[in-house]
Amino acid sequence: MRAFLQRSYERFRGIDPPERIVPAMDGPLHPNAMLDEAPVLLEQEGIDNLCVAPAGVFASAASELLSLMPEGEGFRAQPLETFARPITCIASDGAGALAIGQDGEGILIRGGAHDGMALTGTGATRFACPTGCVFVDPHTLIVAIGSDEHVAAEWKRDLMKQCHSGSVWRIDLGKGAEAAVPLAKGLAFPSGLALGRQGELFVSEAWEHRVVGLSASEPSAPVELLIELPAYPGFVAPTSDGAFWLALFAPRNPLVEFVILERRYCERMIDTVDPQFWIAPALSSGKSFLEPIQGGARKKLNVLKPWSPSWSYGLALQCNAQFRPVASVHSRADGNVHGVTSLAEKDGRLMIGACGSGRVVAVPVNAQIGIGVEL
Amino acid sequence: MFSQASLTRLRYKYLPDHLIGEVLSKRWVDNAIPFLVLLIVIAVLGPLLPNFFTLSSLSDLGRQMAEFGLIVLALAIVLLSGGIDLSVGSMFAMAVLGSLLGMNVWELPVLIVLAGVLAMGALYGLLNGVLIGYLRLRAFLTTLVTLIILRSVYVIVFLHYSTALVTGFADSALWDFIGFGTVYGFPLSLLVSGLIAIVWHIVLSRMRPGWRLTAVGGARRSAYNAGINVRRTVCLAYVWSGILCSVAGFLYAARLGSAGADTGIGMEVSALTAVVLGGNSLGGGRGSVAKAILGALLVLIITNSLISFGVPGSITSTVLGIFLIAAVFLDMRWVRNKEQLLSKSYVSPTYLNLPPPPKTTDPASPYRLNDKLRTVEVIGLGEIEGPEDVILDRHDNLYCGTRHGDIVKFFAPDYQTNEVLAHIGGHPLGMAFDKNDNLLVCIGGMGLYQVTPDGISTKVTDETNRRWTSVVDDSRLRLADDLDIAPDGRIFFSEATVRYEQEEWATDALESRGNGRIICYDPRDGSTRTVLPNLVFANGITTMRDGCSILYAESWTCSISRYYFAGPKKGRTEPVLTNLPGYPDNINRASDGNYWAALLGMRTPALDLAMTMPDFRRRMAKRVAPDFWLYPNINTGCVIKFDENGNILESLWDLGGQNHPMITSMREHKGWLYLGGVSNNRIGRYRIEGADPNWTGPASYWGDAK
Repeated sequence: MRAFLQRSYERFRGIDPPERIVPAMDGPLHPNAMLDEAPVLLEQEGIDNLCVAPAGVFASAASELLSLMPEGEGFRAQPLETFARPITCIASDGAGALAIGQDGEGILIRGGAHDGMALTGTGATRFACPTGCVFVDPHTLIVAIGSDEHVAAEWKRDLMKQCHSGSVWRIDLGKGAEAAVPLAKGLAFPSGLALGRQGELFVSEAWEHRVVGLSASEPSAPVELLIELPAYPGFVAPTSDGAFWLALFAPRNPLVEFVILERRYCERMIDTVDPQFWIAPALSSGKSFLEPIQGGARKKLNVLKPWSPSWSYGLALQCNAQFRPVASVHSRADGNVHGVTSLAEKDGRLMIGACGSGRVVAVPVNAQIGIGVEL
Repeated sequence: MFSQASLTRLRYKYLPDHLIGEVLSKRWVDNAIPFLVLLIVIAVLGPLLPNFFTLSSLSDLGRQMAEFGLIVLALAIVLLSGGIDLSVGSMFAMAVLGSLLGMNVWELPVLIVLAGVLAMGALYGLLNGVLIGYLRLRAFLTTLVTLIILRSVYVIVFLHYSTALVTGFADSALWDFIGFGTVYGFPLSLLVSGLIAIVWHIVLSRMRPGWRLTAVGGARRSAYNAGINVRRTVCLAYVWSGILCSVAGFLYAARLGSAGADTGIGMEVSALTAVVLGGNSLGGGRGSVAKAILGALLVLIITNSLISFGVPGSITSTVLGIFLIAAVFLDMRWVRNKEQLLSKSYVSPTYLNLPPPPKTTDPASPYRLNDKLRTVEVIGLGEIEGPEDVILDRHDNLYCGTRHGDIVKFFAPDYQTNEVLAHIGGHPLGMAFDKNDNLLVCIGGMGLYQVTPDGISTKVTDETNRRWTSVVDDSRLRLADDLDIAPDGRIFFSEATVRYEQEEWATDALESRGNGRIICYDPRDGSTRTVLPNLVFANGITTMRDGCSILYAESWTCSISRYYFAGPKKGRTEPVLTNLPGYPDNINRASDGNYWAALLGMRTPALDLAMTMPDFRRRMAKRVAPDFWLYPNINTGCVIKFDENGNILESLWDLGGQNHPMITSMREHKGWLYLGGVSNNRIGRYRIEGADPNWTGPASYWGDAK
C-alpha cells in the first residue's frame, strides 16, 4: 500500500524512479570520437561475434559463419558455412571446438570431442535465445539465455516489455544439456559472459544496465560490479593481461526510459509499429525518415550535432580486473561505428565489431585513453 | 457506447486544458489563491454566524473595511517599494485623535480638520521617508521607533484632553454624513475608500509612478541603473502611507466619535497579516491593490467572526499570527515554484488522429522516393542562415530572409554576389511581391512588413482583432508565417501559432491544437481582421488562379485546404489534400497551372501514434527534457506538385537530407525551382524538366512589366 502510494505520488509529481534515470557520460565514459578515427579493418554488413580461436579469427554475419583472413592492414571475410538460423554467439575452447549460438534453436558444437552436439534446452527451458557462451574447459560450457519469451533478434521487444526471464547455465558436455545447472535465473537479458582469473563468472545484464558477478560452478546470487551504465552492456572480452573490455551495444535515452514507464503507449507501439521505427534503442539509426527523432537531433544549418540524442551509438568500455571502468572509446550521434556487439583481442589490438554500422575497427588494447589523449 | 478513442477525442475537444498554462502566465493569477481562501472563509463562516449576511452587518463590515482597507493599502504600498511601515497603527491613532480634537474640542470646520489631519499624516510619513529613503536607515527599526514615539505622544495628548473629548460635541451635518451617511445604500466611507483604491490601482498598474515604485521594490539597484530616483520614490511611499492612514483615522473618528487609550494598538500586525495574506510579497516588488483589498477583507471577516463567537482578543491575535506565518510560507513556495509550474504545464497537447500515411515505398505512388534533389546547385552556401522563403523579382534577382533579421538579395544571373537589401530585425519568413514590385514579408515575432525595391522597410501591420475568449492577448502577431496577395490588393497571411515564439515553432507540433489562423490585411481601409481562426499551424498560403480563393496548408494535420474570399462560394472552405506523408509548409504556383508545396518534415509512425495519446505527450513534456522530446522528423523533406483537385503529380526528394535536410519553401522561376529551408545555410536550385523557361511568378500574378 505504501509503495503504491509512493509510486502514485512520484507519478503525479513526475519523479523518475532511480533505475529509469540515465546517468551522464562522464569520467571514464567521457565522450570522444576514437571509434570513428580508428583504422577500419573490415566492412561487412551485420558483422558480429568476433572470436579468436587457434584456427584463426571467426565472425558471423546473420546466419553465415565467416573466417577473417588477414589482408593488408585489415581483414577479408571468407564465408565458411551457412547455418539454418542467425548466429547469436560464438565461443572457442582454445583448442579445436567452437560453440555456435543459433537464434531460436540452441547451441551447436563444432569440432573437438563433442563435435555435432546440439544443446536445445533443459526441462521446461528452451535455449531459444542464446546470447553468449564461454568454455570453462573443453568439456564444460556456460551459456547465457537472454530471455525465455523472445528470440535474440527480438531483443527490442524484450527490452520494451521489460522482461526479466534470462538465465545462465552450466552445461557438462559429457552429460548433455538435460543435466545443465542453472547458475542464475530471472536476469534481465544477460548478454555477455566472461571468466575471471579466479574462475568467477562475469555477466552483463543489459536491461538492468549492469555487470554482475556469479559463481561459475553453482547457483549464486548476483553481485553487482558495475552499475548505472548509460548504455546497454553486451559482449564482455577478457584481455590477455586479466582486464576486460565491455561492449555497450546501444545507448540509453531518457525518452526510451519514459516510454517504458508509459505502458499504454508502449504496448500500442509494440502492437502497431514496425520495430525499426519504435522509440527504442537500435544498433544503427538514421537510415529512414520514418524513424522518430528527438528535439536535440534536429539538424541546424545542415549539421547533426555529435551530442544529439540518438537511438544508436558506438561504445566500448575498458575495465580493470576488478571491473572498475578505466576508459572508453566512442562513436557519437554523427559517427559511423555504431552498435558494437563484439570485441576480440589479437596481436595487442582490440578488434571492435560494430554490427550496426557493419565494420570492424581496431584500437590498441592497453591504450592509456584519457580525456583529450590521442590514440 | 463510446470507444476509448472517441472519448479521448471528445475530452480534448471540449476540455480546454491549454488554458491552465495561459491563466498561469497571467499576472492576476497571484490573486487566485487569496480569492479562493476568501470564498472558502465566507462559505464556512457565513452560515455559522447568524447575522453575517444581514444588511446592517454588511454595512458595518463595509465601514470597517473602508478604514482598515486604507491602512492595509498604505502598508501594501510601502511593502511594494521594498520597505515596511510598522507605524501605521500609531499614525492612524494620531489621526483619530487629531480629528476628534479638531471637531469636538476646537470645533473647527470639517474640511479644515481633514486638511490638518492629512498634513499631519504626510508629515509623519515624510519623517519616516526622509530617515529611510534619504538617510538610508533600516525601515524596520525606523518605523518601530516612529511607532513608539507617536504612540507616546498619543497617550500624553489623549490623557490631557480625555475629558474634553468626551464632553465636547461636534455639531456638523457633514461630519455626521461622513460617519453614518450612505449613498445608494453604500456607506460613504466605503465609497471614498473604494475611489482611493481605484485611483491607486490605476497608478500602480498603469502609470509611471506606480511602475517606478514596483521597480524600486523589485530590484533597487536595477531601478537605480535604469535612472529611477530611488531615494525619492522610497520616501514618497512612506508619505503616501502616512496620508492614507490619516484618511482612515479621519473616517474612524467620524464613525465612532470617540477614541480610547487602545485605539490603533496592534493594528500594524493585523494590517501586515492582511497584506501578506492577500499575496503581496514581503520582499517588495510584487503586489497590487486587489491583493491588499482581498487580504483586508479576509482579516476583517476572520477577526469579526472570532469576536462574534466570543473568542478572547488574545486568541484572535494568535489566530492572526498563525495566518500570517502560513501566508508567508505559502507566498514563498508559490513564488519559488510558479515559473516551474508554468513551464511544466504550458505545453498542452490535444487529440489528433491521422489515418496511416501513404506508402513512399510503393513504386506506383506519386510519392515514390528518388534522389532528384541530391544534385541541386547550391547558392550562398555558408553566407546565409535560415532562408525560410525565397522569391525572385522581374529581373531574376533572388531574395531570401535570414535568421539575423536581414533580407538578402542575390544578383542575377549567377547569384554569386549578394547584398543586404534591408535589415528588419526579426526572422523573415514568407515573402510576396505586390503589383508595384514592393516585397511584402512576414516577420516572425514582428508582423507583416513591406520592403520597397530600394530597401526601405515599413511596418504594414502587427495587430489583429483580439478574440473575446482569448486568455493570453492574441491581438499581437507572434509568428506571422506566409502570405499572398489577392488581385484586389488584400493581403492574406497566416499566423502559425499564437502560443509559441518563432524559435519554439516545432513545439507547437506537440500540441497540434488549432493555435494558428489566417488574417487578412486590407490596404483600402488599413484594417486587419482574422478570417479563419483555429487552424492547426497555418502555414503556406497562395492565391489561386481564379482570383477569389487561396490555398492554405495546416502543417500538423498534414492537409491543404482552399478558402474562398470572394465569388459565389465566398467564405467557404474545402479540403484539397489530406493525409499527406509529411508536414506541408509553403505553397506556390507552378508554371504549368499546378501548385508546388514543400513538406518541411516527414511523419513518423511513433509520433502519429503519440498524436492519438495527448496525455502521453503531456507527461512527456513535463518529465522529459525538451532535447529528448519526440518531434516531427524535420531532417528530411520533399517537394510535391499537385493540381487544384488534389491530385499529387510529382515528388522531389533528397533522401538523407545531404543538400536540403529540410525544405520549407520552393519558388519556380524560368524553368528552375529555388529551394529554401528555415534551418539551412544555403539555397538550392533545381532544373525542372520541361518547364516553361519564360514563366515567372511576378508575371503570373501581376502581368508583364509595365
